[in-house]
Amino acid sequence: MPARPRVYRAEAVILRRRNLGEADSIFTVLSDHEGKFDAIARGVRKAKSRMRGHLEPLTRSRVLVAQGRNLDIFTQAETVSAYRTLHEDLAAGAEALYCLELVDRFTEERQPLPELYAFLIGVLEALERGAGASATRHFELRLLSILGYEPQIDDCALCDGRLPEQETLLSPSAGGLVCRSCRGAAGGGRLVSVPVIKLLRFARRVDTASFVAISLPESTASELQAALAELVRYHLNREPNTRRFIEGVAALDRQP
Amino acid sequence: MSEPVAGTPEPIARLIHEFAKLPGIGPKSAQRLTYHVLRAPAEDALALAQAVGDVKRRVVLCGECFNITETDPCAFCADDRRERTVICAVEQPLDVLVVERTGGYRGLYHVLHGSLNPIDGIGPEQLRVSDLVRRVEAGGITEVIMATNPSLEGEATSMYIQRLLLPLGVRVTRLARGLPSGADLEYTDDLTLARALEGRQDF
Repeated sequence: MPARPRVYRAEAVILRRRNLGEADSIFTVLSDHEGKFDAIARGVRKAKSRMRGHLEPLTRSRVLVAQGRNLDIFTQAETVSAYRTLHEDLAAGAEALYCLELVDRFTEERQPLPELYAFLIGVLEALERGAGASATRHFELRLLSILGYEPQIDDCALCDGRLPEQETLLSPSAGGLVCRSCRGAAGGGRLVSVPVIKLLRFARRVDTASFVAISLPESTASELQAALAELVRYHLNREPNTRRFIEGVAALDRQP
Repeated sequence: MSEPVAGTPEPIARLIHEFAKLPGIGPKSAQRLTYHVLRAPAEDALALAQAVGDVKRRVVLCGECFNITETDPCAFCADDRRERTVICAVEQPLDVLVVERTGGYRGLYHVLHGSLNPIDGIGPEQLRVSDLVRRVEAGGITEVIMATNPSLEGEATSMYIQRLLLPLGVRVTRLARGLPSGADLEYTDDLTLARALEGRQDF
């Protein structure tokens, strides 16, 4: 990979912040061409900082970055999209934070992922417009495929045999759907219904806006959610933290 | 990890090690502080040791508002002249002093000890959130002012608590968002400016 210039421009979504010392913060961002990286913003926590607010997590910004000795340094930042709804609506914000956590956990530093960046922007915009959890489902599936974890859902992941149109085992360790005769060798998984299989196949072909336009019965939506959550958990080797927050917010909605 | 030079007397090495744990103190600064203590009069050094010990021994959390205090309940909670129907919820104990310094608030406080950070796994159960709900449930409170930081985490915390308090019928308010004095309009972020515009006031 060619060495990056001493000062470079990027467009980025701010994923997270860690405070450092009196007034500095380190931000982790996913950028359009540099992939994910950490950089420090000096004095950003002071009220008069010119970058303050432009480097808030869950914001899309244009940044100017200078190479530092250890960490690179943000020298300028300007908001492209502030995603106001995501900041003011708990449920929408929770979905968006979940997507950001997945990006952070699944990606390596400085590995350029322009396709994932463009896709993340699309999902944040869909969530901003009120698409809800179904945008997150589309994001999970596309994130997995962009990063090379796409589940095999056309034929049996183990024997390449044709899959009859019926409830089928989705096995993360086998890498996709598994036919009845291969089940024993699949090493666990969960049965998914025909509508969910069709949704998974449909999701590959369309953009987020078309995917969220389908209205799903509650049972199908929760089945899809559980199936994708299992794939995510398998490849990440853990449960994403934000999952609990999404559930906590949903519980608030149910209270009298 | 830079260890003290071999042959450094054990008490000195130990103090360097302890200083180096402090935020912003590197191994060199820790060494400098240690040798400063070593040269200082014995009473100064002992006063430092005493102060450090007292901080841990004598400072407790107020059982009502969870502010740090020497007495439980704290001075704010025990003060009968304060309005006992309003609670101002803040993230950190230091924020209490900041609000108090404005001189414009005479109600009670509630220290949450942090803000929600879903990605880092900081949920409401790690904060003093249920304690605040309990205080409101106990009755007598007419307004809760959410004075968390105007950051993603602070706002999420306020919105979450607002929703939690909704069924209790208490009035929940939050601090206005706008431009800090001395700021530059050109560099203000979109969200702040949009809210400042909405919250504009007549002269």
